[in-house]
Amino acid sequence: MMAILQTPEREQEVRGLAEAPHHPARRRKTPYQGAARGFIAPGVLLVAVLLYLPLLWTTFLSFTEYNGLGDPEFVGLDNYVEMFTDPSFVGSLMNTLLWVGGTLLIPVGIGLALALLTWNLPGGIWLRLPFLIPYAVSGIGVGVIWSFILSSNGALDQALAVIGITDPPRWLVDAPLNTFVMIIAAAWQGVGVNALLFTIGLQSIPKEPLEAARVDGATGVRLFTSILWPMLRPLTAVVVGLSIVASLKTFDIVLSMTKGGPGRASETLALTMYRETFVNSDYGLGSAIAVFLSIVTLLASVLYLRQQLSKKHEM
Amino acid sequence: MSRILRTTVLVVLGVVWLLPVYLLVINASKSPATFTSTEAWIPTDFSLFANIADAMQLSGLSDSVVSTLTYAVVSPIIAVVVGAAAGFAIVALRLKHGFLWFVVIFGGTVFPLQMVLLPLFDAYSRVGLYDTQVGMIIVYTAISIPFSAFVMRNFFTGVAHNVFEASVLDGASTWRIFSRIYLPMASSALVAIFILQATFIWNDLLLGLTLSQSDDVRPIVTTLAGMQSTYGGAQMSTVLAAAVLVSLPTVVLFLFTQKFFARGLALGQY
Repeated sequence: MMAILQTPEREQEVRGLAEAPHHPARRRKTPYQGAARGFIAPGVLLVAVLLYLPLLWTTFLSFTEYNGLGDPEFVGLDNYVEMFTDPSFVGSLMNTLLWVGGTLLIPVGIGLALALLTWNLPGGIWLRLPFLIPYAVSGIGVGVIWSFILSSNGALDQALAVIGITDPPRWLVDAPLNTFVMIIAAAWQGVGVNALLFTIGLQSIPKEPLEAARVDGATGVRLFTSILWPMLRPLTAVVVGLSIVASLKTFDIVLSMTKGGPGRASETLALTMYRETFVNSDYGLGSAIAVFLSIVTLLASVLYLRQQLSKKHEM
Repeated sequence: MSRILRTTVLVVLGVVWLLPVYLLVINASKSPATFTSTEAWIPTDFSLFANIADAMQLSGLSDSVVSTLTYAVVSPIIAVVVGAAAGFAIVALRLKHGFLWFVVIFGGTVFPLQMVLLPLFDAYSRVGLYDTQVGMIIVYTAISIPFSAFVMRNFFTGVAHNVFEASVLDGASTWRIFSRIYLPMASSALVAIFILQATFIWNDLLLGLTLSQSDDVRPIVTTLAGMQSTYGGAQMSTVLAAAVLVSLPTVVLFLFTQKFFARGLALGQY
């Protein structure tokens, strides 16, 4: 859900009363251990009770047969076997992979392009604004807007009719087309924040190498490939990691636009999990999907967590 | 690329990007009587406020607005203080094994929300928190804490430790040092966290869908989703008006606080 991105300059500016950070290992403990435990207790307690306990319970339930009534019955790996042999789960998995790929190509790519275009441009802040507005809209809000645009004979079809296309595809009905158009809707929402992140990254690039490169006559593509791109690499890892993790959890746009249909043709893993659990009351299977989703998310998180951890060591 | 070319490209793209917003606004403004989806691109009349009033009435949206506003304000405030207290314990009071405790708190966000939905639903039903505002506030607070602790730990790490030592020499208690010196000093970071978490909570669907059902407890986005699926007896223009109502607060907040957003994003981000 969360990622980490520190640009050294920004950090320093935010800190205010900055001094060189202490190395954790060299810190001496203060005599306030009792008070310290008191200060950290509320946070640890809330997180433990509302996040960790449920996490363990879901993991346990994934090995059981349970419908909410009576007691969970231990069935070993049955749910996982059932999961992978169910063709609609496999379809849901493929859709999720489409989401991951599409979200990487479109919003991350356009986001980077926008950041480069607005970089050092007078009024760049204002030119970025139209792309930031959709980011603040909820997934359901985005779904409502795009369902309206893409409905049969809706705004898009009317626009196409003007240029002579009178038999447009059924955007939200035909699979996998419906997944593609939903990825576009998600991209419409997500481009702005990626652009903002890349902008922060560009602003934190030290001036000297840039000046040097300019003096040497590097501009345009050359400047990008030999200076900007390598220097943006840590940030790119973060943006890519974030995008993957977010797309793995795609839920509200799909729920709003197709409900995973027709049939289950456009379902994503998050939606399948929700349906198995809260619609079919198959708690064991739903939990197994949640566990699978978590493992994949964790693996993807390693992409940007590694980035963060390596920074920690430097400190 | 020349400045003019870059600006032109950006303006054209920006206009394209705003087309869905344009369509939303003009169609949400059509009165249900004149609304025809065959002329989606042409504005007809301006009944946006009448449509919003209809939406509020038809689907209990007005109750949702009030409760969602409560969640989006109360939970981040608690989370910001709890997170700051954790950061303070680790950095200023130098809690033993502080980094380990930090990882414990922060690790709570690494897993997808799907992992906690069912047990929370189950447990909430058993202890009477299901479909209550208190229950919603508690869960929104808990999921906001890790991010808050993360940012605040980072922030306090940059504060010279002799600020703490000087306060101790002045005879201040740890609580006083926290509430009178460390918290005020961190106000900009606190605001950044608050805005990000408030936006996140306002836009939440999954927890609302899972842990609530009645109009006065359900978060607003969940109500909008419900309206859309059945149209709640509402016309398309009413649903679109509801979408405008649901989206406006976060868009306005976002545009007015871009600076804090950028800062929050730079510190640790969604």
